[in-house]
Amino acid sequence: MIRRLVLDVLKPHNPGIVELSKELSELDGVEGVNIVTYEIDQKVENVKIILGGTNINFENVKKKLESLGAVIHSVDEVAAGTRIVEEVRTPQDRSARL
Amino acid sequence: MNFLEKIRDYIRISRIAPISRRYFIMNAFDGAMTTLGIVVGAYVAGDPEPLFIISAGLGASLAMGLSGFAGAYVTEEAERKRELESLEQSMLKNLEESVIGRASRFASLWAGMVDGVSPALAAIVCLAPFFLFSTLFAIQLSITITLLVLFLLGAFLGKVSSRNVFLHGMKLLCVGLILALILLVFKSVY
Repeated sequence: MIRRLVLDVLKPHNPGIVELSKELSELDGVEGVNIVTYEIDQKVENVKIILGGTNINFENVKKKLESLGAVIHSVDEVAAGTRIVEEVRTPQDRSARL
Repeated sequence: MNFLEKIRDYIRISRIAPISRRYFIMNAFDGAMTTLGIVVGAYVAGDPEPLFIISAGLGASLAMGLSGFAGAYVTEEAERKRELESLEQSMLKNLEESVIGRASRFASLWAGMVDGVSPALAAIVCLAPFFLFSTLFAIQLSITITLLVLFLLGAFLGKVSSRNVFLHGMKLLCVGLILALILLVFKSVY
């Protein structure tokens, strides 16, 4: 039961993120969508898509994005189960930065 | 998603609306001018036969319609294909089956349809009086309708560009008047 999904997606400029968010929010199991553009090139753009819901079907999300001409670069975060577990800082994170 | 919504989406994604608007005006103008040329030309030639004018007008509009459809479809398809391939290279992905590929194919067909229908539509409107009235009155009415169509096309352009609607209407109307004038001068010379 996926509750949160964070994706790094490459997409053409058209359809825009407004349309993309509408299309994704209509998928079964998705309750909310947030899309942030973080890089724009001449023909394409990179966006971060955050999906929240009760039972997100990853395959349906992938298919929907592909039908809109977008590709998933990476799945950056997944939260599944009855409770969403937030990312926490650990000593390993600190040491990794040093 | 119903059929109309899909078409609206394709029009938006392919950004075909301004292009089809140009095609529509350009070809409706062609259709109206050709009809005006046929009607005034037949009048100048003397003893005009309504069936001859209708046949010549419809034949010309059919030819313009078919040539418009084929020309616009082939041109638009080639351009769209090139654009899609360029986008596919940037995306490193085949987009034929995505909404972008479908919108691209739809855009070519839509441009062809607009380009094909507009001259035929203008010609039929301008020739309509010949189906209803006696020849001489039909000629006068047809010329008036054609000039009105030209004015409306110009006015529409004025509205699109948020400029003076009347002035733009008059510009296209003047082109029609020039054609009629040239043909009438021919009549007086020969």
